[in-house]
Amino acid sequence: MPPIPADDNDPPSSAVVLAAGEGIRLRPLTANRPKPMLPAGARPILEYVLNALIDTGINDIHLVVGYQAKRVRSHFGPTYRDVPITYHTQANQLGSGHALLQARDGLDGTFLLVNGDQIIDTRIVEAVSSSHTETTATLAIVEGQNAVDYGAVRLDGDRVTELIEQPITGDFRLFNAGVYAFSQQIFETLETLSVERGELPLTAAIQQLIEDGDHAVGGVRTDHFWMDATHPWDLLTLTRELLSRGWVDDPPGDDTTHVADSARVHPDATLVGPVVIDSDAVIEAGAIVGPYVAVGASATIGAGAVLRDTVVDTDTTIGPNTTASEAVVGQGCELGANLTVAGGPATVVLDEDVHRNVALGGVIADRVEIGGGATLEPGALIGPEATIGHGVVVHGRIDGGSEVVR
Amino acid sequence: MCGIVGCIGRGNDTVDVLMGGLRSLEYRGYDSAGIALGPSMNVLRQSGELDALTEVVDTNDPTGTYGIGHTRWSTHGPPTDRNAHPHTDENGRVAVVHNGIIENYAELKNDLEAAGVTFSSDTDTEVVPHLIAQALNDGDDPELAFHNTVDRLQGSYAIAAIIDGEETIFAARQGSPLVIGVGDNCTYLASDVPAFVEHTRDVIFLEDGQRVHANTDSYTILNDDREPVEVSVETVSYTAEETGKSGYDHYMLKEIHEQPTALRQCFSGRGDALDGTITLEEIDEIPQPDAVQFVACGTSYHAALYGASILREMGIPAEAYLASEYALSPPPLSLGTLVVGITQSGETADTLAALRDAQSRGVTTLALTNTVNSTAARECDHAVYIRAGPEIGVAATKTFSSQLVGCNLLAEELVEGQRDLRPLIESLRGLPDDVQSILDSSAAESLVEDYVDSDGYFFIGRGTNVAVALEGALKCKEISYEHAEGFPAGELKHGPLALVTSDTPVFAIVTGDDERAQKTLGNIKEVQARGAPVIAVTDGESAAEEIADETLMIPETNERAAPVLANVQLQLFSYYLADALGQPIDKPRNLAKSVTVE
Repeated sequence: MPPIPADDNDPPSSAVVLAAGEGIRLRPLTANRPKPMLPAGARPILEYVLNALIDTGINDIHLVVGYQAKRVRSHFGPTYRDVPITYHTQANQLGSGHALLQARDGLDGTFLLVNGDQIIDTRIVEAVSSSHTETTATLAIVEGQNAVDYGAVRLDGDRVTELIEQPITGDFRLFNAGVYAFSQQIFETLETLSVERGELPLTAAIQQLIEDGDHAVGGVRTDHFWMDATHPWDLLTLTRELLSRGWVDDPPGDDTTHVADSARVHPDATLVGPVVIDSDAVIEAGAIVGPYVAVGASATIGAGAVLRDTVVDTDTTIGPNTTASEAVVGQGCELGANLTVAGGPATVVLDEDVHRNVALGGVIADRVEIGGGATLEPGALIGPEATIGHGVVVHGRIDGGSEVVR
Repeated sequence: MCGIVGCIGRGNDTVDVLMGGLRSLEYRGYDSAGIALGPSMNVLRQSGELDALTEVVDTNDPTGTYGIGHTRWSTHGPPTDRNAHPHTDENGRVAVVHNGIIENYAELKNDLEAAGVTFSSDTDTEVVPHLIAQALNDGDDPELAFHNTVDRLQGSYAIAAIIDGEETIFAARQGSPLVIGVGDNCTYLASDVPAFVEHTRDVIFLEDGQRVHANTDSYTILNDDREPVEVSVETVSYTAEETGKSGYDHYMLKEIHEQPTALRQCFSGRGDALDGTITLEEIDEIPQPDAVQFVACGTSYHAALYGASILREMGIPAEAYLASEYALSPPPLSLGTLVVGITQSGETADTLAALRDAQSRGVTTLALTNTVNSTAARECDHAVYIRAGPEIGVAATKTFSSQLVGCNLLAEELVEGQRDLRPLIESLRGLPDDVQSILDSSAAESLVEDYVDSDGYFFIGRGTNVAVALEGALKCKEISYEHAEGFPAGELKHGPLALVTSDTPVFAIVTGDDERAQKTLGNIKEVQARGAPVIAVTDGESAAEEIADETLMIPETNERAAPVLANVQLQLFSYYLADALGQPIDKPRNLAKSVTVE
């Protein structure tokens, strides 16, 4: 049933979620899937986003998909938690404003817009939703320094007076959290703008609304949890935050040990909370898993393996007696016995940017095979479908598909 | 097979409810469709897909407060307007929709014609409204007229009727599916639950011989002696939206991409990787059978071939039979034989007939099906569910993959004795990601460009890969309409090789590097010598990759799991071939999703 067009005074019942982007800075993890499908805890980031929306009362979800869209379509299907999902395709990733335009046909009245690649507390969504009454656009505003992606904000009471696209950190303390409510006017404003340098950002349209002067742009300050993954190691922080907050929908064992009913944990294995073990995962004898470890569906942790601060995605097998700390392991990997990933700090070079003192043991992308006794030096990045031989010491970056022998 | 719907108690929403119901039953047939409404006795029907009827309905804007509807897959008479349901008597006092076959219709029709009745269609169904009208003329009240008519019918049917002046829907089930939906002061009926699941999830699964009177605010279920019976109302769990397309162009492509999830669900909780055991709780108590006979049709038959093959390798005599042959020429069986029916829908008439035949001979029966509470699941002694989720595309894809996993689970549960199943469990657990890796990187779509203009397509394999070859060919022919055949690779030289030319690509399924693989390599050279291009579907363990002209690669796994992966590559090839040819992939001509007539 199509949603009933919202009266302008009703809180929005529809939401647009932007899930078309690759997340270039998260390569090589995004070779087969868009950034919103990367794991936070044992589930894709996007699941948490949809949960937050549905918990707020949203009953009509529009997903804008593009890069590796099939992964999103197949994961969620036509409904999620009984809420219908409409998919809109953004063929070329030309920015968030362009993405929103793709969903225009499915929307009446006011609606929410969130990014599919950031974890947000339900209360942020609620705050934006309930304060969008007399404004054309309403933004969630957070205090902090890490929101530079969406720009800094000048606020006068509850009105936004300026959006600053690329702020110099330190000059500002209020930032746009990327959670919005809009009226239909946003489409008209977007259409007056054009794609420049390959981008039509939403923020340009909001700035235009402010400059037009006939439209009020509201800002809602919030200090609830909000987090974005920009770099691969942020997935470790996200997982740590989620597990600390108990944001795990598997049945809880004790307060911090979450084991799915269909998972099998050997009686001689030890789980150290907080930890989450998803459906059909297997933890073999003598393994010590946790704290801050997420084991995805159908993954296997070999006998005697010791894992902490690690994300193991679905269908991956970790060999016996492996030691891993601060590791991100993608889907479908086969890691041999006695792998050592000792943890950070590391110096990591990504797209010619040098990141120092990063708490990262290593990143292993999807379907990597590693022989027995290999070692990852701190900060190693292994591309998808690479094959690493027995006893290899991996340093720095290994390209996808390559074969490394000692 | 056809789909029928009905609803009473929904007032002015009746037309919308009926049309929505037909829309979700379209998978059961799409040759023609129609509705009949009371109390106006307004009947609208149209050949072609449901959209054609929708136009007629929009133009005529019919009114009614209760009614019945039908979407048709032709069995008696071509798909024309005159053969579209509902059918009526000469005066339009009675309207009837029917799914199934009335076996004694010729005799009944002769009697009616002798009495002066003029028929206006070629269908078997039309005898029903005439018989009811005749009974009314003889002084029966509507209720009696309906029951007296049903008593005279032989064959399989689900029937719904409305009769002028009586605010009731009459319905009867014998051998074809019919379910009742219980709403607030309204009642629905349909061939399958999706037709009304958006209105109610409270459902009564009727048994054969049961009849229904549905009134505005109540319903009565009667047995074939016309006595009211107590029935239980069950709550079904799935939602209407589960059957949407998620933005894919076709259900078939959506379902191909759902296979990792389907396989995960099928295996979940059934294999223990720690102690190396497989358990199917639902059949825990079945002792090891002396022999197993599989009965199935179409794609499910190919799964049965695979299942029989793995059981034989485990030392259990096992055979796969085409269900349509089994009931009429039943093979001998001993009392220790287990007869396993594989049917996605659980409603396939040929398979049900074969299972009933086996049951009548006193052996244990088991249904391996995707549909909880289906007729096969209810009638057999045991049921094992493959948990693939709803499949709408007429060409079976994810259910075949799940059936193959189901066969493994079944075989390991049935065959007693200590075995370390860890390698098998590891490969079955690995299937979702292995399938995903094929979906991420398959070359099938680009291969289609080179082979779209071929004269025909051949598929060969040995051992369990024979089932894959046959299934690959079936998928290809049913959706692309191109000529395609599958053969055990060794059979080529005994005849079919005569068909092989440079315009007939041959798909060779070669997994592992055992004797079967080696011999299949010989067959590859055999067809290459006749100029045919060879596409190897291979895991790279044998030399197939070097010998063949093209390859579709699958991940290495063990021999039980490899057929699932090889088949996914062939599904993708058939899909993109049919798409390149512009065929209606989800609704191939002349076919229906589950065939509930024999």
